[in-house]
Amino acid sequence: MAEGKSFFGEIKRHVQDFIYGMAAHEMTRQALKTRGSMEHLFILITMGDILGVPILPPYYSLRLLPYVVPQIATWKRSMLREKDLTDALA
Amino acid sequence: MTAISLRRIFTENPDRRYIMFGGKGGLGKTTFSAATAYYLARQGYKVLVFSVDPQASLSDIFQRDIFGKGPVEIVPGLFAQEIDADRRIRAYQEEIRQKIRTMYGFETLPDEVEHYIEAAAAEPAMEESAIFDEVVDIVVAGQYDYYIYDLVPLGHALYYLSMAKVYDEWIERITRLREEMRQYEEMAARLKRDTTLEEDKILAELQDIRMRISTSSRILTDRQKTAFFFVLVPEEMVLIDTQKAAQLFRRFNVPISGYIVNRVLPEELARQQIPAYLQNRLQMQRTYLDKIRHLFGDEVLAYVPEFERDVTGLPMIERMAQAMFDGAGVRGEGR
Repeated sequence: MAEGKSFFGEIKRHVQDFIYGMAAHEMTRQALKTRGSMEHLFILITMGDILGVPILPPYYSLRLLPYVVPQIATWKRSMLREKDLTDALA
Repeated sequence: MTAISLRRIFTENPDRRYIMFGGKGGLGKTTFSAATAYYLARQGYKVLVFSVDPQASLSDIFQRDIFGKGPVEIVPGLFAQEIDADRRIRAYQEEIRQKIRTMYGFETLPDEVEHYIEAAAAEPAMEESAIFDEVVDIVVAGQYDYYIYDLVPLGHALYYLSMAKVYDEWIERITRLREEMRQYEEMAARLKRDTTLEEDKILAELQDIRMRISTSSRILTDRQKTAFFFVLVPEEMVLIDTQKAAQLFRRFNVPISGYIVNRVLPEELARQQIPAYLQNRLQMQRTYLDKIRHLFGDEVLAYVPEFERDVTGLPMIERMAQAMFDGAGVRGEGR
């Protein structure tokens, strides 16, 4: 009985994964991508000084700095690199 | 005696616990702040008078070095504080560095981050922001019955007031952006049937900043809790500037409680043998006092005399407090 349950459970999981792949994966990817570009925008607004674009009073942006330390390197790269055609396809 | 009017403002509006004196530089804002604090402390209240001016002069008027020493008790119930902006900025920078070190286990900060922290502190707005932030701390702690703001001269005061507004709007916008980001994150998590979602620390931080700023900007424009007095002297330039400033302050919804006229030459002088020079000054003053009465009418709460010496030290502050509150001032009618 337990075997049967895990067998059907296994099938259920696969079906779920299949449906997720068919229907929702693209949406998830899109949502995360949108979130990613908003993250870039957010850091630009708060930490713009690093690129030489002062946007806001720095006092409070310093308070946010600790949380974005890991993102700063990737963000700076993405802001400063040249864009080409493949960006549109990504 | 019009000096009674000022006392009446205080007794009739006991909820007005945030007191501000504004006006051009050198007209007596600090003097009035100190004297009012003294008067209220003598009434048995716990009062804090603090300066938001980087070039503060509370130390001079109380003849005690209180700069950067936190609230210092001058007489029982009267505390005075001058904010050391530089020190606060340094402490703040160190706090940020320490947070980054502990969060990521760094020994030393990455150059880029260190450079940013250094550069941010050199921004011209940093000093004002640091003072603003300390004022929020002081006010939020709520340990006093009265808070007396020894304000910066008019232009800066407007900057100070508008800063609260600008910060508030800015923080609101990025908080909204952050919340939107959160929605996408939640959507992705839902689609992936992922139930654990980390708390957004940045959003929490933004909401905290926003709460602090709105607390202090609410106070500045709260008619029930705040009294803003304009200080002026009977001179033409001052009159013109005060009118302009009053308009601007109204635009920022600052509740103006009234005007206090400082440096009024006593009318008794006219009955004495005085040189033509002084006669002229008295004559000129009468013209401007008439103008002041015409412009501001009942809103003038006190006429304070020009003393024979400058107001520093407690005995002179006491005399000033009497002139302001006990009707020992000059006759408002000026005749």
